[in-house]
Amino acid sequence: MGDPQSGENSQYDLYLQEIEGVDDYWGPTFRAIYDNDQNVKFREKLDQRIQHHNKDIERLCNVYYQGFIEAIRELLEVRNHAKKLNGQVTTLDTQLHQAAKNISKSGNELLQARKVQSNIAVVIAQLNLCLPVLTSYSKLKKQIAEKRYYPALKTLEELEHSHLLHVANYRFSYQLRESIPKIRESIEKASMSDLKDFLENIRKFSPKIGEVAMKHTSEQLASDPTVIGRKKKRIAPQPSGDGVGHFSEEDLSAQELIDFSPIYRSLHISTVLNTRATFETYYRAERTKQARLVLQPPTNMHECEESYRAYIHAVLGFFILEDHVLNTGNGLITRAFLDEMWTMALSKIVSALQTHSAYCTDATLILRIKDLIMLFCTTLRNYGYSVKPLWELVRELRDHYTEVLMQRWVQVFREILSKEDFQPIQVYDLEEYEHILSSFPWDEDLPNDVVFPHKFPFSGMVPKVYQQVKEFIYACLKFSEDLNLSQVEVDEMIRKSMNLLLTRTFSGCLSSTFRSPHINLQEIIQIIIDTGYLEEATVYLDQFISNITGEESRGVSTGVVQGQPAMFRVAREDAVRQICEKLRQKLNEFYELESYDWLLGEPSGHASSYISDLIAFLQTTFQSFTNLPPEVAQVACKSACEHIANSMFQLLMNDEIKQISMGALNQINLDLLQCEQFAASEPVKGLQEDVLLSYFTKLRETLDLFTSWDWPTYFHDYGQETSKYKQVNPDDAIVLLEKLKEGDKKTMFTVLKKNERDKKKLLETVLKQLRQLTQITPNK
Amino acid sequence: MAKTYDYLFKLLLIGDSGVGKTCVLFRFSEDAFNTTFISTIGIDFKIRTIDLDGKKIKLQIWDTAGQERFRTITTAYYRGAMGIMLVYDITNEKSFENIKNWIRNIEENASADVEKMLLGNKCELEEKRQVSKERGEQLAIEYGIKFIETSAKASIRVEEAFFTLARDIKAKMEKKLEASNPPKGGHQLKATEPQRKPTNWLSRCTLL
Repeated sequence: MGDPQSGENSQYDLYLQEIEGVDDYWGPTFRAIYDNDQNVKFREKLDQRIQHHNKDIERLCNVYYQGFIEAIRELLEVRNHAKKLNGQVTTLDTQLHQAAKNISKSGNELLQARKVQSNIAVVIAQLNLCLPVLTSYSKLKKQIAEKRYYPALKTLEELEHSHLLHVANYRFSYQLRESIPKIRESIEKASMSDLKDFLENIRKFSPKIGEVAMKHTSEQLASDPTVIGRKKKRIAPQPSGDGVGHFSEEDLSAQELIDFSPIYRSLHISTVLNTRATFETYYRAERTKQARLVLQPPTNMHECEESYRAYIHAVLGFFILEDHVLNTGNGLITRAFLDEMWTMALSKIVSALQTHSAYCTDATLILRIKDLIMLFCTTLRNYGYSVKPLWELVRELRDHYTEVLMQRWVQVFREILSKEDFQPIQVYDLEEYEHILSSFPWDEDLPNDVVFPHKFPFSGMVPKVYQQVKEFIYACLKFSEDLNLSQVEVDEMIRKSMNLLLTRTFSGCLSSTFRSPHINLQEIIQIIIDTGYLEEATVYLDQFISNITGEESRGVSTGVVQGQPAMFRVAREDAVRQICEKLRQKLNEFYELESYDWLLGEPSGHASSYISDLIAFLQTTFQSFTNLPPEVAQVACKSACEHIANSMFQLLMNDEIKQISMGALNQINLDLLQCEQFAASEPVKGLQEDVLLSYFTKLRETLDLFTSWDWPTYFHDYGQETSKYKQVNPDDAIVLLEKLKEGDKKTMFTVLKKNERDKKKLLETVLKQLRQLTQITPNK
Repeated sequence: MAKTYDYLFKLLLIGDSGVGKTCVLFRFSEDAFNTTFISTIGIDFKIRTIDLDGKKIKLQIWDTAGQERFRTITTAYYRGAMGIMLVYDITNEKSFENIKNWIRNIEENASADVEKMLLGNKCELEEKRQVSKERGEQLAIEYGIKFIETSAKASIRVEEAFFTLARDIKAKMEKKLEASNPPKGGHQLKATEPQRKPTNWLSRCTLL
């Protein structure tokens, strides 16, 4: 600043300072400068200053530039570093990013999982509530499917009352609740249909049960004969004595063969469902219906044993089942119901068996039926049914059996008789002889030395019939075999049957033999002789029966063999009748040859030839048949005489003969004389002469009356015991008198002598008198 | 009673036991045959009515037992017989030989004019024959009687035999009737008792 000026310079400096010092409040300074008129000089000075400052700035700038360069350099360096750092950070950042990405993902997942977890927990809780419902429902379904309706029903109940309450707000539970009544109903239905199946099943199966039961009974009977008929308890387990414990179907008692569970189930179900009453009614009604079906015998039952067997099995099975139901069915049926049904059934069974067995004509079949019924009875009794009517049926069957046997033996006897020649047996050697003796008991004294050919007194029929009677007895016995009858009863029965056989069957056969037109007197007589031998042999039959039955022989015990001769008496009487009949036929043949001249004037003086022949024939016959038993001969002779007398009387009374002459009457008288002579001649031993003569009395009296014309005596003594003509019947007398009158007319018409007229008058009187008698007689 | 026949002939069958008398009779009366042999006891008879030349003839044929033990009984019947059949068995020589004895029996017991006939029965058993037909004929000629071989079993000429015998009896009887009764007689005489004339029985003539 220059010195010279220094004093002026310094003022300027101040202004500068002031401007420099004060940033803005420059106005006063500048005023001041201008006021002093210094502004030029100052501008110089300020330029100077600005110079200076420029210079300063320049220098400063110079000084700082270096630093600036340095700074730029450093800055550039920093930039590089920063750049480097930036790169490093970026890599780090990406690395971090990389690392964090998985973590965050896992975190998300974790979150998700947590959420799920909590959801699951909730669901499980809910499900736990629903599960019992479902399990019990499925149990229910299964039980229904398995037809275990009762548990199903229980399950249903449980479901309804305990489980479903907890899960009310689900749709399925709603549906379940809705379906419960339906299920219940369907269970009921199903159990009913089950019951129906069961009923059907037992209906099918009951014959089998019956069969098994019968088999058991028969086995039991076979193993223990003493139990027959005794009241036994239900089929007990096989005695342990058997040792082997085999429990096959064979050893099951009959009712165990059937599965009764459906019925129990149904019963339980109905109890649960409160429909027990209906159920009972239904069951009983169904069973009653079934009973009716079972009791309906097959229409052709009488044809074969199998049908009987099937029928009996079915019935038996039915009642075994019913009994079982009674015992185990918890009151499903009552004793009263069963008893009532059984009573009804029993009468039906009896009548069915009765009807069908009545058709049966096969003895073997009857035997089998009997066995069946017996087994049936025993089995039924084992089950506690009363079988009394069946026993009676068996008795009836026994009678029927005997009948059938009789019929069979009718054939046997017929066969024997048809092949019989009714000739005494003739044997030609010892063997035959022994054979006869072995087949027929003959206790007559046999000759020590038999000469062959040897003749037995009886014919071949005798041993054959004897054998057949024995066979018959065996056959009878077969029926009573396990009939559980006392020996007395069996004995009685056999004796009765044998009696019937001999009195009725054999006699009947013999009778039809007699009826054969080809049989002759001789054969009938042999039959009589044969029956005699058979009669003697009944003692042996009696013993034979006693041996079988063990009963004391009746014959011995009662002393008299009562009724036994009667066995052949019928046949014998019939044979005697036949002899009489044959004789009568022969006599009738003689009467065919009769040739009376009813208008005969004079009698020939001797008996008519037919009468002579007839008498001779009779005599010969009675002489020839030396083997005819005397009593038979007597009967035959009596009958012959009676027939002769009747025939002669009939000749006199014959309507076709209108006229009779006195001569003809005399001829008849001669013939009668011949007969009377015969009657008095004792043609057969052991007859009193009066007996035979008595047959001719009526004829004799009539002829006497007419030939002696003793009417006054007749009328006088009429009706008195002592009358000479007490057998002359006025009716007969009228008939004969009319004939005589007619006969007289013919011969006397030209002769009208007085005594003839008297005679005629007398005749009229006698006739009148006789007519009066006939009118009185009926009133007497 | 109206008579059912015109004549009654009584015939007799004799011969040994077993020659077949009963069978012959059975064949004739019933046209049947019975194989079982039943020996006749005593006597029996059958009646058959035959038609001969328009006449009804009743044949009462007596069948006798051939067995010896009945001989007395049977011979009683010879008397009434109007015809006798002598029967032998052609398979049994003995029965043929015995015919002689039977003839003797007839001569002793029967009426003299009895009509006889010889029958050789069982002629169906040709293979068992012991008596030739010629010998039978020979014997018949000797006795002046007719001869026929018959078979009751095979029904050979049985009928013929009886008819022949009946016809001979009828012819003989009619001849006799004519001889004793001129044909003028309006009253039919009974054939049964042609030889028996009414004996003296308190004769009271009423008609003539």
